[in-house]
Amino acid sequence: MKIAILLKQVPVKDATLKVNGDGLWIDEDNVTFEINESDHYGLEEALRLKEKHDGEVVVVTMGPERVKESIKQALAKGADRAIHINSSGYSNPDPIAHAKLLCAAIKDENFDLILSGLQSDDLGYGQTGVLVAEMLGMAHATLVMETDVQDGKIKVKRELEGGWFQSVELPLPAVLTIQSGLNQIRYATIKGIMAAKRKEIKEIAISDLGVSDADASGIQMHKIYLPVKTKQTVVLEGDTADIVSKLVDKLKNEAKVL
Amino acid sequence: MAKKDKTDVSFMKSLFAGVIDQETIFPYPKLPQDEQENLDMILQAWNEFAKDAVDSPQIDRDKKIPKEVLQGMAELGFFGLSIPEQYGGAGLSETAYCRVFEEVCNYDASLAVTLGAHASIGTNGLLLYGTEKQKQKYLPKLASGEWIAAFALTEPGAGSDAAGIQSKAVLNDKKTHFILNGGKMWISNGSISDLWTVFAKTDVIEDGVIKEKISAFLVEAKWPGCSAGKPEDKFGIRGSDTTALNFDNVQVPVENLLGPLGKGFKVAMETLNVGRLGLAAGNVGGCKLLTQMAADYAKNRKQFGQSIAEFEIIKDKIANMAADAYAAESMVYLTSALADRHTVDYSLESAISKVFASEALWRAANEAMQIAGGNGYSTEYPFGQIVRDARINLIFEGTNEILRAFTALAGMQGPGEYLKKIGKALRDPIKGFGLLTEFAVQKVRDVVTKDTLKNIAPELKEQAERFNDFADELQSNVEKVLMKYGKEIIHHEFIQQRIANMAIDLYGMAAVISRVDSKIKDSKSVEQEMPLVQLYCDAAWRRVRREARQIENNLDKQRRQACDLIYNSKQIPFDVFHE
Repeated sequence: MKIAILLKQVPVKDATLKVNGDGLWIDEDNVTFEINESDHYGLEEALRLKEKHDGEVVVVTMGPERVKESIKQALAKGADRAIHINSSGYSNPDPIAHAKLLCAAIKDENFDLILSGLQSDDLGYGQTGVLVAEMLGMAHATLVMETDVQDGKIKVKRELEGGWFQSVELPLPAVLTIQSGLNQIRYATIKGIMAAKRKEIKEIAISDLGVSDADASGIQMHKIYLPVKTKQTVVLEGDTADIVSKLVDKLKNEAKVL
Repeated sequence: MAKKDKTDVSFMKSLFAGVIDQETIFPYPKLPQDEQENLDMILQAWNEFAKDAVDSPQIDRDKKIPKEVLQGMAELGFFGLSIPEQYGGAGLSETAYCRVFEEVCNYDASLAVTLGAHASIGTNGLLLYGTEKQKQKYLPKLASGEWIAAFALTEPGAGSDAAGIQSKAVLNDKKTHFILNGGKMWISNGSISDLWTVFAKTDVIEDGVIKEKISAFLVEAKWPGCSAGKPEDKFGIRGSDTTALNFDNVQVPVENLLGPLGKGFKVAMETLNVGRLGLAAGNVGGCKLLTQMAADYAKNRKQFGQSIAEFEIIKDKIANMAADAYAAESMVYLTSALADRHTVDYSLESAISKVFASEALWRAANEAMQIAGGNGYSTEYPFGQIVRDARINLIFEGTNEILRAFTALAGMQGPGEYLKKIGKALRDPIKGFGLLTEFAVQKVRDVVTKDTLKNIAPELKEQAERFNDFADELQSNVEKVLMKYGKEIIHHEFIQQRIANMAIDLYGMAAVISRVDSKIKDSKSVEQEMPLVQLYCDAAWRRVRREARQIENNLDKQRRQACDLIYNSKQIPFDVFHE
C-alpha cells in the first residue's frame, strides 16, 4: 500500500509569539517549530498501516527550508522518502492554493491512501485534506479515530459531537484527515535517525509545479493580533450589607443570572 | 573506534615541558554538520522518551530503575551509542556520546551510571582490544541491549591501587581454558549484566622467568562459577546496581582473553581514559542544570520584600557556578575531540576534565542546596538527591586524589626523562604511570625562550598572557622539583597535588581561550560569554599562582606533624576543658 502523509510544520505549542512588522504574520525569529500535532498522529497511523500491509510511506510537506528538520524527523521515525515543496518567499494563506500545489506534486504518485492531520495548529482551516480529496477525485473521511484496511476498502471510525462515533467504509484510494490521540506516537530510534540520512528528499520549487494560479487567493489576511485578556476580577468593598447589595445588583444586571 | 597507533602528541604532557602545542587544541573543535544533525535528533528522541518515562525521585526511592525504562532505551538504541554501525550500534564519536550522556544525566544519575557502566567502561575494552571474532560475538548483543556489560577491576583489597588485584587466572594443562578465581567489589551493573570485562593476574614468562601480570578477560555472567552479590545500599545513585562479583573456578576459554596476555593493566587504563571523559561530560550536564535550577529558585523566592536573586551574595554563587560550568564544558568537549582523533594521547586531559568537572558539580550541588535554604534540605525538593547523586563522582573511576597524582607524575615523566638524559639529578625513570612522551622530550630541546600562545584575539589578551606566564611557571616548577627530589617525587604528594592543581587550571584556561578565540575568528559575538571567561580565568590563574608559591614556601612540615599527633593518639589530643 502506497501511503502519503501531508505534514505541516508549525510553531511549538509553548512558543512565545510576537506579531511581525506588517502585522500580517508572526515574527518567526527565535521561534522553534515542530510537526503539527494531528499530522504527527497521521504519520504514526501511516507507519502502522505500512507495518501491517507493507508498502511505502511518503512524507509530503510544503514550507521553507526549515521544514527539512521535520521531514528528517519523519524519515527517522520510519517514513521511506519525502517530497518537499519549497515555499520560501511564498505567503499565500489560501488552503485552495495549497491543495492545488500539493495535488500537482503528488498526482502522478497514485497513492492508495493520503493521510493528513485534521487541521493545522497555526492557521487551523481544517480544509487542505478535504480539498486534496476533491481535486484528486478520491473518497474522504474527516476526524478519523480508527482505521481498518480490508480487501481494497478502508473502514474508519469518525468522531462526532457529544461522544458519538460513526463507522464509515470507503473505497480506496481515499483521503483521511486524522484526529489527534488515535494512536501512540513512537519515538525516533537511533537506527532510524542514522537510516534517515540515506533516504530521498525530493525538493520541488513552487514555480516548477505548473500551477498558474498559485498566487490567487480567496482569503486576505487583514490583521493578526494577540488575544486581549477579557476576564477581570472586581473586589467589592464596604460592610457586609453593602457588599451583598452590590453583588446582587451585579448578578442581576451584569451577569444576568438572577 | 578502531585502535590505531597513538603518537606521543599530548597537549598537557608538552605543557609540563614548557611547550605550548597550540595546533593540537586550536581551533576549538566542532562536530561535522552531518553528525551534529544526527546528534540533535538523538537528543530530541531522548528528551521525548525521558520526559514520558524517567521518574528520577521514584528511581531513588525504589532503589531500582524500572525494567520498561531500560527496555525502552534498548529499543531506541541507547545501549549501542558508541558501538560501530557494522555491529548494530550507532557509531557515535566520543564527542557525540558525551553530549548524549550529559543529557541522560540530566534526567537521572542512576540511569546514567547504568548506561555508562555498559556503554563506556563495559564495552570500551572490547572495542579497543577485542579481536574481530570477539567483536562479532558480543557487540551486536551489547548494542541491542539484549546483553548488558560491566567492567570489573576493583577488589576489596585493590581500589585506588588497581595493580594490586588478587584475582587469578591459571591456564589449564590442555591450554584450552583459564581457570579464574577471586572476587570483585563495587561493580556497577554487577547483578543485571551479562558480560564482564574482568582483570586478573596471570603467569607470564618474560626472559625465561615467570612473572605475575594482569590480563583482561571477557567473562559471561552465566558461566558456572560466576555469581553476583546482592546490590549495595548506597548514599546516592541508589537506582544503579552495584554488587560484588565472585569467581569460583570459572572456566574462561582462551579465546576470551582480551588483548595480549599480561597487558591487562593497559586495557584497564585506556578503558578508564574514555570512561572518565564520559563521567566528566555527565558532570558538565549537572553543572549546567544546577546553575539553572538555582537561578530559577532564587528568582522565585522572595525575602525582605524582593526576590533573593537580587542579593549580591546569591549573585556571587550563581556567577561562580556559571563560570565553572562554562570552563568544565570547554575542557570536556576539547578533550572528547582529542579522543576522536585517535592519534593523540589524551590521558591527562581526560583525568583533568574528570577532576575539575566532578568538583565543579559538587560545588554547584552544595551551593544550589544552600540557595534553596530549608527547602533545599527537604526531600520535597530535588536538591538533596542531587547532592547524594553528585558525590560519587569524586570517588569512582579513579578517585580525584589518584587522578591528581597521575596527572602530576605522568606529566612530569617527560621532563624527568629529559633531565635524566642530560645527566642531571635523575638516575631512574619515574615508574608506574603513563606512557613516555618522546614528543615533549624532543620539543623541549628546541625551546630556548618562553613558549607562548600565538595570534590570540585581542579580546583575550589578558587571559592569554596569564596563561603564558603560568605555563612557564609550571615548567620551571616541574624542573625545580625534579632536580630536588628526583625519582623520590613519587613519594611527595603535597608537591604532586600542587603541580596537578596548576595543570588542571592551566588546561581549563587553554580550553576556554581556544573556545572563545575560535568563536571570535568565526566572526561570532562573544559578548555574552566574556564575563564567564573573565571570571573563570581570573580565579584560575590566582589558584595556579597560589599553588606555585606553595611549592617552596609551605607548611608541609606542620602538616606532617599534625598528622603524627593525630595518628599517634587514640583520642583527639586536645580538649579545651582539660588544659
